[in-house]
Amino acid sequence: MAKPVLEKEGKTVFLLGNEAIARGAIEGGIGFASAYPGTPSTEIIETLAAVAREVGFYVEWSTNEKVALEAAYGAAMSGVRSITAMKHVGVNVAADPLMSSAYTGVKGGFVIVSADDPGMWSSQNEQDNRYYGLHAFIPVFEAYNPNEAKETVRMLFEFSERFEHPVIFRSTTRLSHSRGPVKLGKIPERKTRGTFEKKPDRWTLIPAYSRKLRRKLVEKWENIRRELEEWPFNKFYDYGSKYTIIASGLAYGYVMDALEELNLREKVNILKINTPVPLPHGVVLKALERSEKILVVEELEPIVETEVKKLAFEKGVDLEIHGKDLVPQVGELDLNRVIKAVASFMNIDYKPPEPVTNIDVEIPPRPPTFCPGCPHRATFYILKKAANKLRLKPVYSGDIGCYSLGVLPPFEEQDIIVEMGGSIGVANGLAHTIDQPLIAIIGDSTFFHAGIPGLINAVYNNAPMLVLVLDNRITAMTGHQPHPGTGLRATGEKTIMIDPEKIARAVGVEYTKTVDPYNVDEAQKVLEEALKYVVERKKPALVVMKRACSLLIYREALRRGIENPYYRVIEDKCTACGVCYDFFGCPSIIPKPDGKAYIDPVTCTGCGVCAKVCPFNAIVPGKPASEEWNKLWF
Amino acid sequence: MVLEVRDMRTVNIVIVGVGGQGLITIGRILGNAAVLRNIGVLVSEVHGLAQRGGSVIVHARIGDPHSPLVPLGGAHALLGLELAETIRYLPYVNKNTLLIVNRRFIRPSVPKARMPPVEDTINKLRGKGLKVIDINAFDLASRAGSPVAENIVMLGGLVATNILEGMLSLDDFREAIKNTFPPRWHEVNLRALQYGYNAVKEKLSDK
Repeated sequence: MAKPVLEKEGKTVFLLGNEAIARGAIEGGIGFASAYPGTPSTEIIETLAAVAREVGFYVEWSTNEKVALEAAYGAAMSGVRSITAMKHVGVNVAADPLMSSAYTGVKGGFVIVSADDPGMWSSQNEQDNRYYGLHAFIPVFEAYNPNEAKETVRMLFEFSERFEHPVIFRSTTRLSHSRGPVKLGKIPERKTRGTFEKKPDRWTLIPAYSRKLRRKLVEKWENIRRELEEWPFNKFYDYGSKYTIIASGLAYGYVMDALEELNLREKVNILKINTPVPLPHGVVLKALERSEKILVVEELEPIVETEVKKLAFEKGVDLEIHGKDLVPQVGELDLNRVIKAVASFMNIDYKPPEPVTNIDVEIPPRPPTFCPGCPHRATFYILKKAANKLRLKPVYSGDIGCYSLGVLPPFEEQDIIVEMGGSIGVANGLAHTIDQPLIAIIGDSTFFHAGIPGLINAVYNNAPMLVLVLDNRITAMTGHQPHPGTGLRATGEKTIMIDPEKIARAVGVEYTKTVDPYNVDEAQKVLEEALKYVVERKKPALVVMKRACSLLIYREALRRGIENPYYRVIEDKCTACGVCYDFFGCPSIIPKPDGKAYIDPVTCTGCGVCAKVCPFNAIVPGKPASEEWNKLWF
Repeated sequence: MVLEVRDMRTVNIVIVGVGGQGLITIGRILGNAAVLRNIGVLVSEVHGLAQRGGSVIVHARIGDPHSPLVPLGGAHALLGLELAETIRYLPYVNKNTLLIVNRRFIRPSVPKARMPPVEDTINKLRGKGLKVIDINAFDLASRAGSPVAENIVMLGGLVATNILEGMLSLDDFREAIKNTFPPRWHEVNLRALQYGYNAVKEKLSDK
């Protein structure tokens, strides 16, 4: 079975949007790819990493988005086609080199994929990164389905090379994580080695050169805008109506289906726009001149709408233009919202099919939760016990990762979650302004991503805090990508394993320890000692809670046919107190109708932490761990 | 457009359950089957944080869809791998929607969560006038050789209804399963598909 993403030219395969983007990059002749994982962008580089050796190009997971963008930018300076991919908020981290890349331009085609998350399915905000294009003078391309995404990305390398300019491909959750048929094209030969030509007036942004480049950039921008008049995925469907709907990117699909639903297909003109920034003026003007009423349908911010209104004003075209007055600005678009907007725009009555609701069954909420055996659950439990024992009420400065779930009951040990690395960063301020003890909680991958400068600052400016590195040996939340602490690279090669504790030592943290959260008693002792150190000595301390992600190990065991160990409940000793399932909250522990606990032997990973939690010693090993099972942990 | 655009209605299916139950795999097989028959298809799912044991919905639209999401009240079929999630996603259902549900609750690990009784819940759904076909997919999957194949049993159940009639047949799904899984998983999954198919056919002939 060939990997679908490497199937032959001419074949149609069913691909995830992100796989389609990866195939587009392969067909576009990339020689270099780099990224930091982040939902909904992760599978782009993951897909490329899985086929890099076979096809012959370089792929890396970089330490963060800034480094990833810089690395791909560097490769493109040497004439090698390159791609970098990140989630929308990752672009904030990479914004510095992004802005500069428009000034210097590139030699090899350079595609920056921004995967935005309208609806905030897995993010802290829903910023619209088409604004980055306007801000940085980098053209932004969109697509409405996986096939178009593949084609667009393929063509972007040539486009970028022609203008010697970076380009942004903007995806969203509903494109990146939708699957559809994709017709495959040719996989070409590629260039993986380039040359760097020294040209200080191009590659060094000292003020004297930057001033010249800035002038050129504004000129180039208008050339790019003109070129986009010809972009094949922008299209005006003129049905002779007085009404025109302008749809940007994914919105085109919703508009088409909404018109179908309203029996209005081919009765309203449609201007399909995949190049919102810079918006080509010619195609828009043509649509404006044919219409009396315009509706702009786009997800999130009114970027196309603003430009259309500006253009109408400048050209003195007198017509009615609607957009965010009818299409919601908050949250992702869906068919219901677009049908409602179109019906209102067309002044027609539409009654949607009536959903069935108000059924008399009460169901509990189901937020995402720590997996069975998750070392984070153990850490939060131990941390709570340690703080209680010392009678401390710490402020828990949290971060981005699976452990963000510690915000929810029963733990509630994430008081602040703002952005990657923010746990230590924000604690640097609080340390000088509040009296409670501070605990900054950060994952291993997040520590390497953006935690280290904050840690150095805490030492430099002496900000007392306990930094807990929750080291589960992988970037877990995005689906298990390796990072600098794992000793593995994106394409599977072994490499140096970087130890967070050694980094802390090297930058001058005097109290450092590494402990296994499955080892409940010892871990609690260490946390108590570390907390006392921070409170009494008023200095930063760092403890690494080191234990691999249990989901990773469990899946690996399944794959290799290794049986999992499990714990069991002694019926007679269990008093149905509920501590294990209500306050420890492991999904493998289920209350029976009589309230006594039952441990599901299929999903239990045998971590044994619940045995420590049970006040009546009713939980004991059921099946011991095999040697093969123990060997899986690293 | 690459695909030949067929003049047929688009069938909307929502697949709901708990993260880890294999909902995304159902969507992949549906899509692979449609692509085999050169029928338009879009499947939408959510990755990342939502997958950690959380509530999951996968939208599958087969026929001639341009956009990936099933509208509220717009599902032709709801495939419910878990009963609480079936209840949660009822806003996608209208009175004509066919519900194929797994007779099973999975308790979320939130403090004090208690689940209602299975039979009572299914009766209440029927009490609303909904067409409900209930099967015990977990047991059927175990009999087929692996409880993990619960999702494929449910897919077999969907195929046994008339929802995809004239579009996709049981054989198309057999082929799609072979295209989706590595060979060592074919036997169990083909058996699971058949068990689910038979169970629902039986229920339908009872009525």
